[in-house]
Amino acid sequence: MLAIVAAGFAVNFGLRAIPFLLFAGKDRELPKCVERFGDLISPVIIACLVVYSYSGLAWKTPWPYLAGLLTVGIQLWRRNPLASIIAGTVLYMVLVGCTGCTTVSAETFKQDRFNPLISVSSAGIRFQGRPVVPAEVPERLEDLGVPKTDTVYILVEDGYDGTPTGRRALWVFQHNYLNRAGYSKTMMIHPLISESGSAEEVETKLGSGSVPFREAGPMRPTGGTR
Amino acid sequence: MNATAESEALTPLQRRATLRRAFVDSLPVLMGYSTMGFVAGVLLAAKGNVILSPLWAFLSSSLWVTGTMSIAGVSEIADRTPVYAFALMTLAVNFRYAFYGFTMLRRWKGVALFRKAYLILMLTDENYALEASCQIRSRSRNLFYCTALSILNHSYWILGVTFGALAIALLGHVVDPETIRRHTNGMEFSMAALFIVILTDQICKKK
Repeated sequence: MLAIVAAGFAVNFGLRAIPFLLFAGKDRELPKCVERFGDLISPVIIACLVVYSYSGLAWKTPWPYLAGLLTVGIQLWRRNPLASIIAGTVLYMVLVGCTGCTTVSAETFKQDRFNPLISVSSAGIRFQGRPVVPAEVPERLEDLGVPKTDTVYILVEDGYDGTPTGRRALWVFQHNYLNRAGYSKTMMIHPLISESGSAEEVETKLGSGSVPFREAGPMRPTGGTR
Repeated sequence: MNATAESEALTPLQRRATLRRAFVDSLPVLMGYSTMGFVAGVLLAAKGNVILSPLWAFLSSSLWVTGTMSIAGVSEIADRTPVYAFALMTLAVNFRYAFYGFTMLRRWKGVALFRKAYLILMLTDENYALEASCQIRSRSRNLFYCTALSILNHSYWILGVTFGALAIALLGHVVDPETIRRHTNGMEFSMAALFIVILTDQICKKK
């Protein structure tokens, strides 16, 4: 770890020092073109930084752009950077908070049969605990970078798949939303296993022999017409 | 403009005014760095697979001062990636830093070595953007502004990262990082807003 810290320091500091090392020496005059390059480059760098910083935001939604417009507007009007930044940030936080949209820049996730991303109950579908509409689920999966070849685990709560309506709704969800988006492998999990916390815990509780979850496979809708 | 920056002494009044200006300018960075740093610290402690994570959080935040690698590098640290691979990744991810110094070459010419080294270390995205757009004409005041700004922003970053790691190491089961993240969700916009404001000003100034 010490070596990693040292290497990180050396590379970061080295990169930042490159221009200074190139034109070292106390008495040497800076070439005019280098001076001009330095002045010219700053708006370009800052423009790149704006684009770059947007990649860490929810850039697929209109919210960061709305907040950006507000920031520019207030800056042009009042010429007060702090006021513009706070106004833009508050607007963005409100917009993002209200729509329940997450920015996934630093989010890490783990998906396996003990940590399903999706849960389904008679109250609706939840993705990572947040209520979503079925059409959002494939988008969220893609946002998280879940490969299409991965098995998608779905936690079925309160015996939802025991009722005809529930079975049908699940089948539609699997078939029309997940399969069509390319997520062809799904597995239903029952609450028995996911109620308890960690994987290890469950393993010991159930023993190695029992298989408390079952493959969903091609689920058939019961009742209704196709 | 004077050739040697330190020869011009600042009056206490000038110092206070410059310091105040640096502090006000650094407030958006405080919002961004403390939350982003906290996330980086939490990640390192929770997923970094290292012992004494707060110590490493403190060291890496003080010496690297880069948000990108502090967050993106955690999985490499956890996987025990060889040092050379880690260095290469840092080089690729942070290559943009190599250009920031060009703007400061003339401004920091003749600054004492240690101070210059510190200023160079602190050429982060946000710090650079603020320093590059600083309108203070007087050379010594400008230098004082840059130094103060660097120290302020550096401390926000270190505090954010270290507290993030400490929170997980000490209270990992009491504090849910997800709750904190949800409450500060969207605050990362302050960094984008800072760049937008600086760019707006630069474009207007040119016209």
